Amino acid sequence: MQALTLIVILPLVGFLINGLAGNKLGQKAVAVIGCGLPILSFAITVSMFMLLMQTGEARIETVYTWATVGETSFEIALYFDRLSAVMTLIVTGIGSLIHIYSIGYMKEDASFARFFAYLNLFLFFMLLLVLGRSLLVMFVGWEGVGLASYLLIGFWFEDPVNAKAGKKAFITNRVGDAGFLIGMFLLYNALGTLDLDRINSAFLAGPVAVSASLVGVFLFIGATGKSAQIPLHVWLPDAMAGPTPVSALIHAATMVTAGVYMIARLNGLYLHAPEASTLVAWVGAATAFFAATVAIVQTDIKKVLAYSTVSQLGFMFVALGVGAYGVAVFHLLTHAFFKACLFLGAGSVIHALSGEQDIRKMGGLAKRIPVTFWTFAIATGAIAGLPPLSGFFSKDEILWFALASERGGSVALMAVMAVTALMTAFYMFRLLWLTFMGASRMDHEVEHHVHESPFSMTGVLMVLAALAAVGGFIPIPHFLEPIAPLPKTLESMQAYHVPLIGLAIALGVAGLVAAAFVYRGDLALPKRLRESFSGLHALLSGKYFIDELYENLIQRPLHWISEKVFLNFGDRRLFDGTLNGMARLANASGGVLARVQTGSLHLYILLVMIGSFLALVWSWAHG
Amino acid sequence: MDKAQLLLSLAVAMFAIGMVGVIIRRNVLVMLMCMELMLNGVNLSLVTFAHQSGTTVGAVLVFLIFVVATAEIAIAIPIVLMLVKRKQTLDPAAYTDLKG
Amino acid sequence: MEAFLAGLDSLLLYIFAFSALIGSILVVVLRQPMRVATALISTMIFLGGVYGLLGVHFIAAFQVLIYVGAVMVFMVYVIMLLDPRDPAVKTRFSPLVVPGIIGGLLLAWALVHAVHGLLGNVTSTPARFGLKEFAVSFLNEYWLHFELTSVLLLAAVVASLAVIKGASGRNRG
Repeated sequence: MQALTLIVILPLVGFLINGLAGNKLGQKAVAVIGCGLPILSFAITVSMFMLLMQTGEARIETVYTWATVGETSFEIALYFDRLSAVMTLIVTGIGSLIHIYSIGYMKEDASFARFFAYLNLFLFFMLLLVLGRSLLVMFVGWEGVGLASYLLIGFWFEDPVNAKAGKKAFITNRVGDAGFLIGMFLLYNALGTLDLDRINSAFLAGPVAVSASLVGVFLFIGATGKSAQIPLHVWLPDAMAGPTPVSALIHAATMVTAGVYMIARLNGLYLHAPEASTLVAWVGAATAFFAATVAIVQTDIKKVLAYSTVSQLGFMFVALGVGAYGVAVFHLLTHAFFKACLFLGAGSVIHALSGEQDIRKMGGLAKRIPVTFWTFAIATGAIAGLPPLSGFFSKDEILWFALASERGGSVALMAVMAVTALMTAFYMFRLLWLTFMGASRMDHEVEHHVHESPFSMTGVLMVLAALAAVGGFIPIPHFLEPIAPLPKTLESMQAYHVPLIGLAIALGVAGLVAAAFVYRGDLALPKRLRESFSGLHALLSGKYFIDELYENLIQRPLHWISEKVFLNFGDRRLFDGTLNGMARLANASGGVLARVQTGSLHLYILLVMIGSFLALVWSWAHG
Repeated sequence: MDKAQLLLSLAVAMFAIGMVGVIIRRNVLVMLMCMELMLNGVNLSLVTFAHQSGTTVGAVLVFLIFVVATAEIAIAIPIVLMLVKRKQTLDPAAYTDLKG
Repeated sequence: MEAFLAGLDSLLLYIFAFSALIGSILVVVLRQPMRVATALISTMIFLGGVYGLLGVHFIAAFQVLIYVGAVMVFMVYVIMLLDPRDPAVKTRFSPLVVPGIIGGLLLAWALVHAVHGLLGNVTSTPARFGLKEFAVSFLNEYWLHFELTSVLLLAAVVASLAVIKGASGRNRG
């Protein structure tokens, strides 16, 4: 079997085995299969990567011809070039690490096998997404990861809150997918093919039958749904109802980056879609800004990280919007490292505190769970952009291109992103302080049982923290130049290149200092701030009340329409009414007609007489 | 009015009167007699036509109608007798067992 | 003399026709069934007279013989058999009097309209046929009809026996 197919199939095999027979195999076997197969996929990916570096040419494998319509045939084909290589390494690598982490995290859970089955299923679909050659295969993976996300968010479905969160994620995704589909239709209509490499070359070669911006906007709507940008970001915070490894894998490192990957892959199209690119950049900026403002007041450790993810994804879309596709993928990589580390660290904290997730009830944990603390701290430094950690490099590149790119960079854009970077540093260090530093605010029972997590968890944390620390030195943008060339930067801005680096460092440090200042000691200052800015605080705590807006704007009218129009009027009155009405009509007409059978002979003869009279008259009329 | 026209009009009138009689009268025997009246009207018209055409066809048909009318009465009267014995009345309004 | 006889013929015809009409109206109108039977008998006899005036004497004979002599006699027997104090005698007319009369008028009008001018003016004396011609054609051309009538009569006999026997059989049991 061909190597790429093997990479994709192995997790599927894991899903089938663990899904069908997992409960009978016992935890050890399930763990071995569930983690071993993704690790195997990773190993194959590494070898394919080295092969790619040697030969330097992209690899295409056709797995199966799905359908032939006329002259066009739709195949399931896998495509491995530099961009796919980076994404696949991230997916399999970090995926394997999180699988190993889950062995420790889900040990007490009764549905251990089901969890690993779903995780493997997710890996299978994600690999289809990043390795797919055509938009069709990518879409299958797109939908599939949405399904896996739904299954995993609602993993503990006995609690209806979790099931509801899973539903919300899936449905919001679907709304975005409608846009994706329309984009696909437009592309196929214009180009007759859905192969990504062919689409790119078609757009690069010259003008195409369809407006690139139109397609770009529609595909971006799909990305909005999948990557939680405004206005379809509402599902990601609720998705924290799932187990923490799920949040780390799906909602930090991989699934939510699918939108970024898609746009980066279609850079040929977006290079010729300036309007769409502007939209992408500003939606990303707005999302980053507003998510950061909400993250400042969140009190659940995972919710802070969720909004942080939304915000960081916004950064990536800003990079995509100004044409710096390689930089966006670079930030994707570093974000995967430090965000996964942060989520898994949060999981470790939750595990240590026997399920407590409210940071107001934490504190003073630094000495008690040191490994978790130090890995969390390194990852926090990375996300805040402190050099030489990885986040500094990628974020700085984004700020630079936001300012200076010839394809939409502006001072305004950079200013928004700079403020967001400041807020990012602030709320992340706030999280670090409230969770680990200061006096303990824990319940006594919880405090008594605080313990460090097992090695299967802390080991992964250490690996990820190391990657978060040094990952910035991987030259991704340079690596992806052949596929996604970096945009030219304005001459006028060249003078600001170095000062910008200083600004980025200053923002990170300022955030650290501010957080340390505000959240020191007995937390009287935050309390005073909250009281003086209570209106703003309420707005931010309520997440700008977007969920309520959607509910009133969309859900209530839809519900009303379903109930009043379709159920009452349509179904009951129209259909049932028609059927019942017809039956009643038959009954009534039967009753009326039965009156003719009066049994009265006189009436019968009268009718004969009238009939014969009419027959006579008719015969005259018709000769 | 010439003979033929007169007789045909009479035949038509007898037929119509007979039919009206069946509808109007409440006595089953009288209804039977009105049916006989109708048959007589038809007979008259046939005889008139036969008289005009000069062939024997009409006369043969009239004779056949005599036979049929006789047979019909021979059966209808016993039926009426049965009905009357059952319902104890000659009023057709009572014979509504088949009312739908 | 010829003209007088012809005139007499016509006069008689008119009288007989008119009387037949009166008789038929009486059939419908009279209250007691016995009187209705008498009116019908008179109508039939007048019709017989009309037939005779038309020249078909044997048909006239048959009319009186069969219709009056068999059919109406049978009817009279039955009328005498059944109770005269029957309530049907009291209420002469059914509920459908008015629609019946209206329908009858309509029908009559329609039929008159249909037969109007059907037969041309009688100018020539049509060939008369007598009993001999009738018998010959009856047994030559229309022999099938003749045989069928005998079948019909047989069927009628059997049927009436069946009706009476069945009823009395049930009563005895």
